[in-house]
Amino acid sequence: MIGDIALCLGGGLLILGAIFTLLAAVGVVRLPDLYTRMHAASKAGAVGGGLVLIAVAVISMDAAVALRAIIGVIFVLLTTPVAAHLLARASYIAGYHAGESTVRDDIKTRLEQNSGS
Amino acid sequence: MTVAAFVDLSSLIALILLGLALLVSIVRIVIGPTLPDRVLALDLMTVVAMGFIGAVAVRTGRMLYLDIAIALALLGFLATVALARYILRRGLKTDAAAMEAQS
Amino acid sequence: MSGAFLVVILALGWAGITGNFSGLNLLFGGLVGGGALLILRYSIRQQGALGRAGKVLSLIALFLYELMVSAINVALIVLRPDLKSALKPAIVAVPLTVKSDAEITLLANMITLTPGTLSVDVAEDRSVLYVHALTMESDTALIAGIANGFEARIKEVFQ
Repeated sequence: MIGDIALCLGGGLLILGAIFTLLAAVGVVRLPDLYTRMHAASKAGAVGGGLVLIAVAVISMDAAVALRAIIGVIFVLLTTPVAAHLLARASYIAGYHAGESTVRDDIKTRLEQNSGS
Repeated sequence: MTVAAFVDLSSLIALILLGLALLVSIVRIVIGPTLPDRVLALDLMTVVAMGFIGAVAVRTGRMLYLDIAIALALLGFLATVALARYILRRGLKTDAAAMEAQS
Repeated sequence: MSGAFLVVILALGWAGITGNFSGLNLLFGGLVGGGALLILRYSIRQQGALGRAGKVLSLIALFLYELMVSAINVALIVLRPDLKSALKPAIVAVPLTVKSDAEITLLANMITLTPGTLSVDVAEDRSVLYVHALTMESDTALIAGIANGFEARIKEVFQ
């Protein structure tokens, strides 16, 4: 009985994770500039990947597998923001600026002040 | 519908959705337009592939695939870090040259 | 005492990753963990780990909740047909009150995974964190949200 509930929960989590990952990919295509795309890839991507791993843990119903899957989730949640931050910082410093729709850019203001003084 | 059939069906649906996600992120890799956009899409692709392997693990019942998924996540992270360093050092120059050559 | 505690945790983690809880494997994990701790002993700060476990857990709970909210937010924004008008991207300077490397790293990572924000850069003097916001309503609300939410909690955990 408990096993059945776990299997149903796992199946639901699997579909939910896949939907989040698909929406992350759609966001990467639809959003207008590099930095807004990073929002979609880092948040929805990390949650999607994490949910799929949790689903595997729930469906396997095996302590060793579940522990490995949870360690994998922690790993994904630690590395995704680091990768997004590195990529954002590297591309900003390399000179890729935010798109025209951006209403405010404090880094640019700082750089202009520095070069002016 | 039995529970086993539901899990089977949900893993199939997840595989279809993740396959679509792979296709959609390939669109971004192809249309670019800049190098960081492509790196971002590649990073997302490794996450999608990780989810794909997880769904395959559920479908086949071989939990050994989970190790492969975790190793792939590590590999994707290291690849993104290396590519970010590359962008930092010589991104815009080579990128602008490539775009000019294309047009 | 906290060193022995860490060795036990590392041994259990090792057994979990290798999927083998036999005595020999636990002993091997403990030896490897002890060796790693021996190498790292000067860079790990001594701290009463158990006393602040509650605060750490509440930080983790807040983080997981915000993570789900942010993923749903981004997913809903992506699905909107009038995408361009829904967005108001901006890069905002957020003043930092936390100073150590560990705190800034944790804060930047958590900001990246919470609703509508993505950390881009830290100023050289560590006084300001540059945050990219997806939909910026007002900059004061954004800065206050970060200062009263994660920054305050992280300070509690580290003090």
